[in-house]
Amino acid sequence: MQNTVRSLRVQRGLSQGDLGAALAVSRQTINSIETGRYLPSLPLAMALARYFETTVEEMFDDEE
Amino acid sequence: MTRNDTVRTRRSGARWLVPVVAALIGLAYLVAGLVAGDEVFGIGGLVLMLGLGGVLLLLSGRSETIAGLLDRRDERINKLDADASLFSGMTLVAAVLVMFVVEIARGQDGAPYYQLGALAGVSYVVALVHQRLRG
Repeated sequence: MQNTVRSLRVQRGLSQGDLGAALAVSRQTINSIETGRYLPSLPLAMALARYFETTVEEMFDDEE
Repeated sequence: MTRNDTVRTRRSGARWLVPVVAALIGLAYLVAGLVAGDEVFGIGGLVLMLGLGGVLLLLSGRSETIAGLLDRRDERINKLDADASLFSGMTLVAAVLVMFVVEIARGQDGAPYYQLGALAGVSYVVALVHQRLRG
Protein backbone atom coordinates (compact mmCIF):
# COMPACT_ATOMS: atom_id res chain seq x y z
CA MET A 1 0.00 0.00 0.00
CA GLN A 2 1.26 3.46 -0.94
CA ASN A 3 2.03 5.81 1.92
CA THR A 4 3.76 9.10 2.63
CA VAL A 5 5.81 7.97 5.62
CA ARG A 6 9.12 8.13 3.79
CA SER A 7 8.61 11.63 2.40
CA LEU A 8 7.39 12.96 5.76
CA ARG A 9 10.38 11.42 7.52
CA VAL A 10 12.85 12.81 4.98
CA GLN A 11 11.22 16.26 5.20
CA ARG A 12 11.95 16.25 8.92
CA GLY A 13 15.50 15.09 8.42
CA LEU A 14 14.98 11.93 10.41
CA SER A 15 16.63 8.57 9.86
CA GLN A 16 14.54 5.40 9.95
CA GLY A 17 16.25 4.61 13.26
CA ASP A 18 15.24 8.00 14.73
CA LEU A 19 11.61 7.48 13.76
CA GLY A 20 11.67 3.89 15.00
CA ALA A 21 13.07 5.01 18.34
CA ALA A 22 10.37 7.67 18.66
CA LEU A 23 7.63 5.12 18.03
CA ALA A 24 9.23 2.21 19.90
CA VAL A 25 9.62 0.03 16.82
CA SER A 26 12.68 -1.14 14.95
CA ARG A 27 14.35 0.52 11.98
CA GLN A 28 13.42 -2.57 9.96
CA THR A 29 9.75 -2.02 10.74
CA ILE A 30 9.89 1.60 9.58
CA ASN A 31 11.63 0.45 6.39
CA SER A 32 8.98 -2.23 5.79
CA ILE A 33 6.15 0.29 6.30
CA GLU A 34 7.76 2.79 3.94
CA THR A 35 8.20 0.21 1.20
CA GLY A 36 4.65 -1.07 1.66
CA ARG A 37 5.74 -4.55 2.69
CA TYR A 38 4.21 -4.18 6.15
CA LEU A 39 0.85 -2.61 6.93
CA PRO A 40 1.01 -1.26 10.50
CA SER A 41 -1.71 -1.85 13.07
CA LEU A 42 -4.21 0.96 13.62
CA PRO A 43 -2.52 2.11 16.88
CA LEU A 44 0.87 2.34 15.15
CA ALA A 45 -0.64 4.05 12.09
CA MET A 46 -2.29 6.56 14.44
CA ALA A 47 0.97 7.09 16.32
CA LEU A 48 2.70 7.78 13.00
CA ALA A 49 -0.03 10.23 11.99
CA ARG A 50 0.16 12.00 15.37
CA TYR A 51 3.93 12.17 15.12
CA PHE A 52 3.80 13.81 11.68
CA GLU A 53 0.75 15.90 12.62
CA THR A 54 -1.34 14.48 9.81
CA THR A 55 -4.10 11.89 9.50
CA VAL A 56 -4.02 8.15 8.86
CA GLU A 57 -6.11 8.68 5.73
CA GLU A 58 -3.62 11.15 4.31
CA MET A 59 -0.64 8.94 5.15
CA PHE A 60 -2.11 5.70 3.83
CA ASP A 61 -4.25 6.85 0.94
CA ASP A 62 -4.35 4.03 -1.62
CA GLU A 63 -6.27 6.03 -4.24
CA GLU A 64 -3.36 7.80 -5.93
CA MET B 1 10.82 15.27 18.94
CA THR B 2 8.74 15.90 22.02
CA ARG B 3 8.01 13.60 24.89
CA ASN B 4 4.43 13.22 23.65
CA ASP B 5 5.68 11.95 20.30
CA THR B 6 7.04 8.85 21.86
CA VAL B 7 4.79 5.82 22.16
CA ARG B 8 5.04 4.74 25.75
CA THR B 9 5.32 1.03 26.16
CA ARG B 10 6.41 -1.20 28.96
CA ARG B 11 10.05 -2.02 28.67
CA SER B 12 10.91 -3.22 32.18
CA GLY B 13 13.32 -6.13 32.23
CA ALA B 14 11.74 -7.85 29.24
CA ARG B 15 15.11 -8.08 27.48
CA TRP B 16 16.29 -10.39 30.24
CA LEU B 17 13.22 -12.61 30.36
CA VAL B 18 14.29 -15.12 27.68
CA PRO B 19 17.89 -15.49 28.99
CA VAL B 20 16.57 -15.91 32.55
CA VAL B 21 14.08 -18.58 31.42
CA ALA B 22 16.92 -20.31 29.53
CA ALA B 23 19.01 -20.26 32.70
CA LEU B 24 16.12 -21.69 34.76
CA ILE B 25 15.64 -24.50 32.22
CA GLY B 26 19.38 -25.15 32.46
CA LEU B 27 19.08 -25.40 36.24
CA ALA B 28 16.19 -27.86 35.82
CA TYR B 29 18.42 -29.96 33.53
CA LEU B 30 21.17 -29.83 36.15
CA VAL B 31 18.84 -30.97 38.94
CA ALA B 32 17.35 -33.73 36.74
CA GLY B 33 20.82 -34.91 35.76
CA LEU B 34 22.05 -34.95 39.36
CA VAL B 35 18.93 -36.78 40.58
CA ALA B 36 19.35 -39.39 37.82
CA GLY B 37 23.07 -39.70 38.52
CA ASP B 38 23.91 -38.38 35.05
CA GLU B 39 26.18 -35.43 35.84
CA VAL B 40 27.30 -35.08 32.22
CA PHE B 41 23.70 -34.47 31.09
CA GLY B 42 23.01 -32.10 34.00
CA ILE B 43 26.13 -29.96 33.64
CA GLY B 44 26.05 -30.14 29.84
CA GLY B 45 22.42 -29.04 29.80
CA LEU B 46 23.11 -26.14 32.15
CA VAL B 47 26.10 -24.95 30.11
CA LEU B 48 24.13 -25.28 26.87
CA MET B 49 21.19 -23.24 28.14
CA LEU B 50 23.41 -20.58 29.76
CA GLY B 51 25.29 -20.36 26.47
CA LEU B 52 22.06 -20.02 24.52
CA GLY B 53 20.86 -17.20 26.78
CA GLY B 54 24.23 -15.47 26.53
CA VAL B 55 24.33 -15.75 22.75
CA LEU B 56 20.83 -14.26 22.48
CA LEU B 57 21.84 -11.32 24.68
CA LEU B 58 25.03 -10.84 22.69
CA LEU B 59 23.28 -10.98 19.32
CA SER B 60 20.55 -8.59 20.49
CA GLY B 61 23.09 -5.78 20.19
CA ARG B 62 23.73 -6.68 16.54
CA SER B 63 20.34 -7.86 15.29
CA GLU B 64 17.19 -5.73 15.49
CA THR B 65 15.08 -8.86 15.03
CA ILE B 66 16.62 -10.65 18.03
CA ALA B 67 16.49 -7.45 20.10
CA GLY B 68 12.80 -7.12 19.15
CA LEU B 69 12.11 -10.74 20.08
CA LEU B 70 13.67 -10.11 23.49
CA ASP B 71 11.97 -6.84 24.41
CA ARG B 72 8.64 -7.50 22.56
CA ARG B 73 7.89 -3.86 21.75
CA ASP B 74 8.01 -4.08 17.97
CA GLU B 75 4.60 -5.12 16.61
CA ARG B 76 6.02 -6.34 13.29
CA ILE B 77 8.54 -8.61 14.98
CA ASN B 78 5.82 -9.80 17.36
CA LYS B 79 3.71 -10.70 14.32
CA LEU B 80 6.65 -12.52 12.75
CA ASP B 81 7.05 -14.42 16.02
CA ALA B 82 3.33 -15.28 16.11
CA ASP B 83 3.42 -16.51 12.49
CA ALA B 84 6.56 -18.57 13.16
CA SER B 85 4.96 -20.02 16.31
CA LEU B 86 1.83 -20.95 14.33
CA PHE B 87 3.92 -22.67 11.67
CA SER B 88 5.96 -24.48 14.32
CA GLY B 89 2.80 -25.58 16.17
CA MET B 90 1.09 -26.83 13.00
CA THR B 91 4.24 -28.74 12.03
CA LEU B 92 4.30 -30.37 15.45
CA VAL B 93 0.60 -31.29 15.30
CA ALA B 94 1.08 -32.80 11.82
CA ALA B 95 4.06 -34.82 13.07
CA VAL B 96 2.06 -36.06 16.08
CA LEU B 97 -0.84 -37.15 13.85
CA VAL B 98 1.50 -38.93 11.42
CA MET B 99 3.28 -40.72 14.27
CA PHE B 100 -0.09 -41.68 15.81
CA VAL B 101 -1.18 -43.30 12.54
CA VAL B 102 2.19 -45.04 12.19
CA GLU B 103 1.94 -46.42 15.74
CA ILE B 104 -1.61 -47.71 15.09
CA ALA B 105 -0.43 -49.34 11.85
CA ARG B 106 2.34 -51.06 13.79
CA GLY B 107 -0.24 -52.60 16.10
CA GLN B 108 0.46 -50.26 19.03
CA ASP B 109 -2.12 -48.25 20.97
CA GLY B 110 -0.89 -44.92 19.60
CA ALA B 111 0.67 -43.70 22.87
CA PRO B 112 2.08 -41.20 23.56
CA TYR B 113 0.93 -39.56 20.33
CA TYR B 114 -2.80 -39.67 21.03
CA GLN B 115 -2.23 -37.93 24.37
CA LEU B 116 -0.13 -35.26 22.67
CA GLY B 117 -2.77 -34.87 19.93
CA ALA B 118 -5.50 -34.54 22.56
CA LEU B 119 -3.43 -31.95 24.42
CA ALA B 120 -3.00 -29.96 21.20
CA GLY B 121 -6.75 -30.15 20.47
CA VAL B 122 -7.79 -29.12 23.98
CA SER B 123 -5.26 -26.27 24.14
CA TYR B 124 -6.53 -25.03 20.74
CA VAL B 125 -10.13 -24.98 21.96
CA VAL B 126 -9.15 -23.29 25.25
CA ALA B 127 -7.15 -20.64 23.36
CA LEU B 128 -10.02 -20.12 20.91
CA VAL B 129 -12.57 -19.65 23.72
CA HIS B 130 -10.18 -17.36 25.60
CA GLN B 131 -9.60 -15.20 22.53
CA ARG B 132 -13.35 -15.15 21.80
CA LEU B 133 -14.18 -14.00 25.34
CA ARG B 134 -11.57 -11.26 25.07
CA GLY B 135 -13.50 -9.97 22.09
